[in-house]
Amino acid sequence: MATFTLTINGSKHSVTAPPDMPLLWVLRDLLQMTGTKYGCGVGGCGACTIHHGTVAVRACQIPISEAHGQSYTTIEGLGGAGEHPCQRAWIEEDVSQCGYCQAGMIMAAAALLHENPNPTDEEIDATMSNSLCRCGTYGRVRRAIHRAARAGAGA
Amino acid sequence: MKITRRAFLRASAYAGAGLTISFRLPFSTTAAPDTVFAPNAYIRIAPDNTITLWVTRSEMGQGVRTNLPAALAEELEVDLGQVRLEQAMPGSRFKGIRLRTSGSGSSSGTFLALRKAGAAAREMLISAAAGTWNVDRAACRAEHGAVAHSASGRKLTYGELAERAAQLPVPAAPPLKDPKNFRLLGKPLRRADGLAIVHGRAGYGIDARVPGMLFAVMERCPYLGGQLVSFDARRAMAVPGVRHVVPIHSGIFAGVAVAADNTWVALKGREALEVKWAAGKDSDFDSDRFMESLKSAAAQEGYSVRREGDPERALAAAAQQIQAVYEYPFQAHAPLETMNCTADVRSDSCEIWVPTQTPETAFNSIAKSLGLPPEKIKVHTTLLGGGFGRRLFVDYADEAVELSKAIGKPVQLLWTRTDDMRNGFFHPASIEHMRAGFSARGIEAWLHKSVGSDLSMFGLPSAEQMKDKQRYAKDESPWGAFDTFYNFPALKVDYVPVDSPVPTGAWRAVEYPSRVFARESFLDEAAHALGKDPLQLRIDLLQPGGILTLGEQKIDRSRMIRVLEAAREKSGWAKPLAHSSERFFGRGVAINTYFGESYVAQVADVSVARDFSDLRIHRIVCIVDCGLAINPSGIEGQVESGITWGLSAALHGKIDFREGRAQQGTYSDFRVMPMNEMPAVETYILPNGNDPSGFGEHPVPPAAPAVANAVFAACGKRARKLPITLA
Repeated sequence: MATFTLTINGSKHSVTAPPDMPLLWVLRDLLQMTGTKYGCGVGGCGACTIHHGTVAVRACQIPISEAHGQSYTTIEGLGGAGEHPCQRAWIEEDVSQCGYCQAGMIMAAAALLHENPNPTDEEIDATMSNSLCRCGTYGRVRRAIHRAARAGAGA
Repeated sequence: MKITRRAFLRASAYAGAGLTISFRLPFSTTAAPDTVFAPNAYIRIAPDNTITLWVTRSEMGQGVRTNLPAALAEELEVDLGQVRLEQAMPGSRFKGIRLRTSGSGSSSGTFLALRKAGAAAREMLISAAAGTWNVDRAACRAEHGAVAHSASGRKLTYGELAERAAQLPVPAAPPLKDPKNFRLLGKPLRRADGLAIVHGRAGYGIDARVPGMLFAVMERCPYLGGQLVSFDARRAMAVPGVRHVVPIHSGIFAGVAVAADNTWVALKGREALEVKWAAGKDSDFDSDRFMESLKSAAAQEGYSVRREGDPERALAAAAQQIQAVYEYPFQAHAPLETMNCTADVRSDSCEIWVPTQTPETAFNSIAKSLGLPPEKIKVHTTLLGGGFGRRLFVDYADEAVELSKAIGKPVQLLWTRTDDMRNGFFHPASIEHMRAGFSARGIEAWLHKSVGSDLSMFGLPSAEQMKDKQRYAKDESPWGAFDTFYNFPALKVDYVPVDSPVPTGAWRAVEYPSRVFARESFLDEAAHALGKDPLQLRIDLLQPGGILTLGEQKIDRSRMIRVLEAAREKSGWAKPLAHSSERFFGRGVAINTYFGESYVAQVADVSVARDFSDLRIHRIVCIVDCGLAINPSGIEGQVESGITWGLSAALHGKIDFREGRAQQGTYSDFRVMPMNEMPAVETYILPNGNDPSGFGEHPVPPAAPAVANAVFAACGKRARKLPITLA
């Protein structure tokens, strides 16, 4: 056990945890931020996608020892106090079904748009195929990403 | 599912609590094994103008928390945003009311009763306003949560009228709105929980947090039918933060739970556990050998479920015969949210938070295991991160309750992904032995023998019950074989049950996917053998249309024909396919109905590399007749969802058992469709005046055979085994 500090959504947190504890469980079980979801624990489904800076990362693959001193954004902090264009687009396209994977989907999409403000279908597929949705919302996810791009999500 | 559409209204007024209308939802009878009885729901209009609907079904992505309030709000003349949702809890208040979510019946099964409840409340509120103002009620109208008197311009909100309305008698047959005046029903509506979901605020089972709770995971017996012999907890307990190590026996597989300060520490503790298992009598179970045993069992006579004409004679007399065996493997559900339950068992009470399709089963199970009176049990149904039939069983809630009781603390028991894939209920493997005989006229005889396992989670029939040779015919099972709707001169459908040690349960569309895969593929084989167009042959075999009555099902062949004709037009069925030097292109069709309710046709366009190195699905056109589409946006979502599910099975899904153990355990070896493999899906909903019918499972079964038939059209390879392999 050791004490680590990190910044989540602009707020500083200090946690006592084993050094190998993945950020996923730090967020969910220690900081009570449950928007980031567990799906597989091996980086294979994308449900726990968050941002390190502006880059999408898998919270289940980052030990707290690596996260020490770093800054992350989760679904709860995406768009600051307001709403990120992806979140708006997700509502407008009525993407969610069960909704469980959607936090990870949105975080992956927002990072993609930051890097590539106007992605093609193929570019969206290449990135988003690492995020799984058992409900099959993929068509709407793609539409929502185009809509968010038009709304300037990547700007 | 067959619904007897009876609705009863009763009202009770609670002083100061406003108007409460309770209503009985349609009684449901069905051949499905998940038959349960009449449910019920409650609305409440409070003096402060809040309108509360207790949602009596579980939200798992199918949209009940959008559709149910829409039916109520439509008749009640309130805006959808005005309806506050509460999730109904089992117990005295909802005693005798169905809270179970299964059979694709949630929206259709509550639709009429919710409308009647809304209409009755509206009429009572109008009467209350008319009485207050001493005017003719015909001069008053309800709109946007208030009653207005046009002549005088007066207006009273529902909240202001609630207490007075509660004193009035409930109209037995309140007038329902003419569908042409609908504001909400039939219009696209957005998911009620959409905003909470995109901000990470929506509460799933895994998100339940209780003061003082621990987090637990469990090492589960890897062997089918295996037993826990012993365990050494010392190394696990030495992991800092591990608090308890407890054997658990109430689930499907025995196991040892590790409860800790957080999930990660629990996982570390589990790794450090030393457990001895006894493999048991099924330690040599092998799913490949099981498939072979199913094929051998096809020689048995089995149970007759349908027989028309003289099929044996017609087959023998046929100028040409074809036969084929289709195979469907074991499947996992693999919802993104793994099984979990948070339980807080005290000496005299129990409260749980659980993503379940069947809270009353959890409730009853707790009452039985803990011996608590009903008023001491609380079951909170959270949002479900996917249901798909897996969450019809409460084994994971039983385990959490057992654990919380043992440690005397609230605890969340979470299944890992691998637990979820290897230690749950599976979709049973089956084979379908198909035979057909032709004359110059066409198909003269159709013989379908289905061989597979009954769903073990409902309990297997006794030897005595098995003596009834009509038992499966009476059950109208297997679905998709029993209800073969083509007009064959002679037809024989038989079922041979073969038990396996694999725990089997309902999967999305339950018994349909495997049987519809065989039926629709073999019909395609017949069409090619006869030199007929597969789509036209289906239409021909549905002539002269009209209603086919099979047990309790009424299958409307005319609606099926209409769906096929729309599929022909919308898919450009007759249009030439693409051509390239690298790939073969093909188009295939498949259709189905689910208990004679909704009707679906799918046309798949695929291409296959000329060296057979890959298969791509380019487009699926889906035609839907589900009666009134309560929420067309939701229907379109369910089409995409069901097709994704069906394609996952068509291309990837398979659980193998070797030496009594499930082999696949992650999304990399039990693959589900990712975005880049998904075809374009085009959905067309045929408008009609029929009552709404279910749609959560319906798009699943035709997807695999539509693709398999398209593969054959493309390259001449017939896929008779899922997942499809081209080698």
